Amino acid sequence: MTDSDHLTVGPAAPDDGAVGIDGKFAASHVPGVEASSYELTDTSMYKRYWDEMPCYLSIHDKDFRIIEGNRRFRRDFGDGIGQYCYKVYKGRDEICPNCPVEATFIDGRNHPSEQLLTTASGVQVPVMVHTTPIHDAAGEVVAVMEMHTDIEEVKELQRELHQSEERLAQLFEEVPCFITVQGPDRIIQHANRRFREVFGVGIGEECFRVYKHREEQCLSCPMMSTFETGRTHDYEAAVLSKDGEELNLLVTTAPLRNSDGVVESVIEMGVDITQIRELQDQLTSIGLLVGSISHGIKGLLTGLDGGIYMVNSGFERDKPERVKKGWEMVQRNVDRIRSMVLDILYYAKDRELIVEDISLPGMVDDLRDGIKKKALDLGARVEFKIPDDIGVFHGDPQAIRAMLLNLIENSIDACRMDSEKTDHVITVVARRAEPFMTISVEDNGIGMDRETREKIFSLFFSSKGLKGTGLGLFISNKIVDKHGGTIEVESEVGKGTKFIVRIPLIARPSTTPDGELAGGAPGLGI
Amino acid sequence: MAVKRVLIVDDDPDIVDYLGFFLKDEGYEVSSANRSSSALAALDDFEPDAVIVDVVLPGKSGLDLLVHIRQHERWSEVPIVVLTGNDAIVRNNGENYLAGFHLKRGADLVLAKPVDRDALVAVLSKLTGANESN
Repeated sequence: MTDSDHLTVGPAAPDDGAVGIDGKFAASHVPGVEASSYELTDTSMYKRYWDEMPCYLSIHDKDFRIIEGNRRFRRDFGDGIGQYCYKVYKGRDEICPNCPVEATFIDGRNHPSEQLLTTASGVQVPVMVHTTPIHDAAGEVVAVMEMHTDIEEVKELQRELHQSEERLAQLFEEVPCFITVQGPDRIIQHANRRFREVFGVGIGEECFRVYKHREEQCLSCPMMSTFETGRTHDYEAAVLSKDGEELNLLVTTAPLRNSDGVVESVIEMGVDITQIRELQDQLTSIGLLVGSISHGIKGLLTGLDGGIYMVNSGFERDKPERVKKGWEMVQRNVDRIRSMVLDILYYAKDRELIVEDISLPGMVDDLRDGIKKKALDLGARVEFKIPDDIGVFHGDPQAIRAMLLNLIENSIDACRMDSEKTDHVITVVARRAEPFMTISVEDNGIGMDRETREKIFSLFFSSKGLKGTGLGLFISNKIVDKHGGTIEVESEVGKGTKFIVRIPLIARPSTTPDGELAGGAPGLGI
Repeated sequence: MAVKRVLIVDDDPDIVDYLGFFLKDEGYEVSSANRSSSALAALDDFEPDAVIVDVVLPGKSGLDLLVHIRQHERWSEVPIVVLTGNDAIVRNNGENYLAGFHLKRGADLVLAKPVDRDALVAVLSKLTGANESN
């Protein structure tokens, strides 16, 4: 290289302080250093710097031949000087697509890119490439210098980052709870696999539509509170799956902030606690049952206590009427104990129906005498209006019998409690009305107000004070329901009550495949 | 001294029979009402010296009746014994919540069912002054 070949590396401005290929540095690029003291005139000095650079340096002519290379280049690419760069660096037979050297020849600018080079010994080296034009005295780009910096370490870090991102994505996908990310517009931006499986796709839809099948936003929204306060919120929610199944979720919301600390979205994590809630409900039921039984026993004890007092004091004072009354009281309460125990057993053991043909006249014949006597003792008459030719229907005789007895005993109680009227009648009517057998039990006892009427089939609800456990009508309702039938009540305070039971003539029990009563409380198995 | 009168307000005929016989045996004159509305009329007719009220009654509860009697011009001072089957259920640190609840509303005493007859007689005797002549 001679003075006449004066070349300048860098953008096309000969005096801008770039490095001249002959080794001259412009002083303005070295602050605080005298220009004269830093002038590099010794070519060997430049050569040393060139060679010692900890990267691959190569200079390419317009034909893409490598015309110069530093020591590291020569070490790894051997006798590449004079050969095509694409051959040396990549083992190719033609110019690489998007060649940065070519681009620099065209526009005189740096074209940074990432490349994978293959050394002479076949080792692949990921590099960051920078190109810079070399101008002649006229400002023409006559060559391009390429600098390749080894980015193996950066690549390794990138790989690790990628792996960790993948792990996080996998965690997000596979974690056994429901996760969604919503924006302030309540639209679900991300959702994990479990969420998508249970709630459908959901992404791009508003959360209240997906979680709750609502048309408008929820009244109280913990997610929006998190947007407003930036704090996490925990709450319990009843939501609906895509199939309409109700789930109880324990939900936590947490803010997702951008680099300025502004809450951009909110992540909602929901844990399915439906089974826990069901267990709790059952435990509550057991608690209520125990309370209800204790309450019932207290009532029975009061009755027995009273009966025994009357029997004893009647004997002492020689008052046979009082003894009779007292003894009846004892008998009544013993009957109540029996019926309460049966109710509890029925409730505790959710037995399957044993369906057979039931002849109502036959069943009532068995009950008639006992019922009539019990009613008469309390001053009420029971009339049965059941045609002999009514035919049979499908049902569990034991359950239907218990249900009938329960309704009739309720009516007897309603009459006993009524002191306004003197003549009390209970009428049991059966009628075959395809496709049902309709049985009604009507009394002219105390009757019920609306509130009582609406609650009578609820578990543990009793209008009888100490006398009731709140199990009888609940179980009657359950029996009818299990037969696929319905039970209705009409009642008015002071006038009386009528229960109307409809049972399909042909059995179509409303049981689920696992034998649990559809819509009713499951047996507690206690 | 005149025989003391006790009005029993309970919708359960068995309880009315039982307490009625028992209190008559103890020397009281007894009348009964099976609901709150008839109890108010019975107060004026029977003019009792004490009233026994069950908490659970059809229509207005025994509690409503209690409050009503305490606001009544003539009967605001009549001794009232409340009978309840719930006394043992609600307790807090040994304090009987429910009894306190009824007492605050004007009951002179709250007795649990099944009734302790000796306690009932002792209380009625004290409240009506039945044994003052003895």
